[in-house]
Amino acid sequence: MNVTHDTNHRITTIHAAGRLDFEAAGAFQKDLEQAVADAAAGGHALVLDCAELDYVSSAGLRVFLVGARAAKASSVPFAVYSLTAAVKEVFDVSGFGRIIDVLADRAGALEKVGRSA
Amino acid sequence: MISLTEELTLLAVEDDGRIAYTAGSPNFAMALVGACIVDLNKAGRVDADLNGLNVLSREPIGLPAQDRVLDVIAAGPVQTVERWVLELQGDSPDLVRMTLAQLQQRGILHQAERRFLWALRARRYPIDDGGKEQKEAKLRILAALLSDGLPTPDDSMLIGLAVAGGLLEAFLSKSEIARLAERIAEIGGLDLVVRGVEAAIRADAEVRAHAIMLSIH
Repeated sequence: MNVTHDTNHRITTIHAAGRLDFEAAGAFQKDLEQAVADAAAGGHALVLDCAELDYVSSAGLRVFLVGARAAKASSVPFAVYSLTAAVKEVFDVSGFGRIIDVLADRAGALEKVGRSA
Repeated sequence: MISLTEELTLLAVEDDGRIAYTAGSPNFAMALVGACIVDLNKAGRVDADLNGLNVLSREPIGLPAQDRVLDVIAAGPVQTVERWVLELQGDSPDLVRMTLAQLQQRGILHQAERRFLWALRARRYPIDDGGKEQKEAKLRILAALLSDGLPTPDDSMLIGLAVAGGLLEAFLSKSEIARLAERIAEIGGLDLVVRGVEAAIRADAEVRAHAIMLSIH
């Protein structure tokens, strides 16, 4: 799994690519928790670009919940966007769409977190 | 820290040490198998997706019930969580016995036999140390259901499996459960293994309903 970050105009974007399985979950969780802490400290919103995330397993899915929980607890606006079909199916089956803002594209995600595109 | 399988089993122990009647139901059996799979997933022995449950390592985790489930899964084909839960539900009595023994070894409960009607014996598992672990599990469930925050993955899975196994009724009234239904659906079982357990319970109920209908005709 490959994870990169960028921050522009008080929006931190995490680009997640590849496979989020048990092997990748631990490192990605640390990354996401740190990003939430940094976003909280800087007053940023946090969006997660999943356009190149091909696969999420049960262990990987829990990381999204940990991240969303940390963001909510820190009052960091948080959204996920551009899910691939495979990852969207996992979100739909597990019910994550009910607790996390999942948007079709970046513009929708930025609008959801209160930042204009 | 105790495992999800141990927490779920503790929820089935009543205040006087009896095992709740719900622990004999197919739904509890399947929830318990699901808890074993979740423990194995957290320990890095298996990982699940929508296509199947994949074995990552056959190395035991040192908990007899979970290791028994790992042995069976590792020896079988790759198949969905739902399929494994349906296949392993018959092992539930052994898994419960192993988990109760594990809880005894940890000093969380002890086994006691009580005679009634002069001859019949009933086995009980009175909880020691004021029931700290059981109370904590119940309190975590209640705190997650009554707050408006997001649950931890562990709490979400515990709620999902407790609901699937019919264990909420042990400490919440029917009206309280009905009042919390929306919140339970929102935050309970946000996990592929727990969803697999729910699918297995639905499939099992369909098979039973079909069998009843056939026997009527």
